[in-house]
Amino acid sequence: MKRHEPGLSWPRLNAEPMQVACHFCDALQTTPRLAEGAAAYCCQCGEMICQNRPRSLAHATAFSAAALIFMVIAHAFPFLTMDSGSVRTRLTLTDAATTLIGDGNPLLALAIVMFTMAAPAVLMGGLLYVAAPLRFGLAFPGAVTVTRLFQKFEPWSMLEVFLLGLIVSLMKLGKVADIQFGLGLWALGGLVICTAAAMAGIDRMELWDRLEIANRPTE
Amino acid sequence: MSEETEPFEARPHTAAAQGLASCHLCGKVSPVTEEFCPRCSSKLHLRKPNSLQRTWAFLLAAVMFYFPANLLPIMTVDGLGGPKSDTILSGVGTFWEMKAYPVAIVIFTASVLIPILKVIALVTLCLAARGRTSASPQKLARLYRLTELLGRWSMVDVFVVAILVCLVQLGALMSVTPGPAAVSFAAVVILTMFSAMSFDPRLLWDRLERNPTPPSDSP
Repeated sequence: MKRHEPGLSWPRLNAEPMQVACHFCDALQTTPRLAEGAAAYCCQCGEMICQNRPRSLAHATAFSAAALIFMVIAHAFPFLTMDSGSVRTRLTLTDAATTLIGDGNPLLALAIVMFTMAAPAVLMGGLLYVAAPLRFGLAFPGAVTVTRLFQKFEPWSMLEVFLLGLIVSLMKLGKVADIQFGLGLWALGGLVICTAAAMAGIDRMELWDRLEIANRPTE
Repeated sequence: MSEETEPFEARPHTAAAQGLASCHLCGKVSPVTEEFCPRCSSKLHLRKPNSLQRTWAFLLAAVMFYFPANLLPIMTVDGLGGPKSDTILSGVGTFWEMKAYPVAIVIFTASVLIPILKVIALVTLCLAARGRTSASPQKLARLYRLTELLGRWSMVDVFVVAILVCLVQLGALMSVTPGPAAVSFAAVVILTMFSAMSFDPRLLWDRLERNPTPPSDSP
């Protein structure tokens, strides 16, 4: 099981069709084993139940690794540098959080830290920790806990919203000051794209099925 | 609060009718008597516990925060012309006067329209789960998915404030301080997100049993 053979369905604990309940309407049904690229839809409400995404583990590993690299760059370099008169200010995520704390707004700072730093880091770090060893059929210790954790963090990762906020701020400041884009901004763009690609890379059902296989007790 | 699930009549062919619960997190179907998912050890429920009560509670709290979020200033700009407070709506107005129509529309949609529509959508869904509307479950499910998808984008204004506060610290010349509405607004977004997460779309289908109208054919 070292390399996922193209065209095949992902490995499962049982070879027979799997019983699933639709998350939207709870209709109990069996899904066939899906060939790569195929998807199963609920027979009652038509909602997608699961999809065998092509090269799922490779995508999840590669994009989450790339996202982590972009994350480091996005933290290390400022998004924007603003020159206004003789004063130069730089914007990084940590700067934004510390300024807010200094201004007496710890709650807003907490929101920034949570939504743009902690949640994306947990999401991408967790996915890499789980998906990379799964390529070799292994599960690292605590993989189940890590998967649960990053799935719960998923809706709270809001970097794409932050990027939109940056664009709006630029429009607001454009007339007041001279603004230069920093390396961090391009890294943020890459991070947003890679995060989306990594999460779309693998179906949740597939990830759990593979984890179950990797964790099964060996006789 | 009791841990009991709200009473519902299970339709045939649903997992719940056969005492099977699909795990909220990993999707594995197991008997609800097992209490914890054998695969990811999350707590098993036939339906999300107290789904409607929780949805209503979060929704009510969100509506309460909605008023300070829109009426109080979201940020104060201390410039040469003296301090100037901006509410969300006056910020939209400024962009409109600057002829920055796309930004004005984005901010208006994300900060004013989406929260209102989200509250209306969740109220509709809660009423529908009680059988008070005649809309088809398919349409309501689509509404639910849209609600979950769009909710996070409302956070954009909070990020704009954070970015501006960090960038504009030009000492005596100009400074930006976050207003009380910023925290309220973040609370609205977070609470509506929790509200949407607490809602169980399967309740929309459960009422079909009580309501004799036949389900329309799925696409």
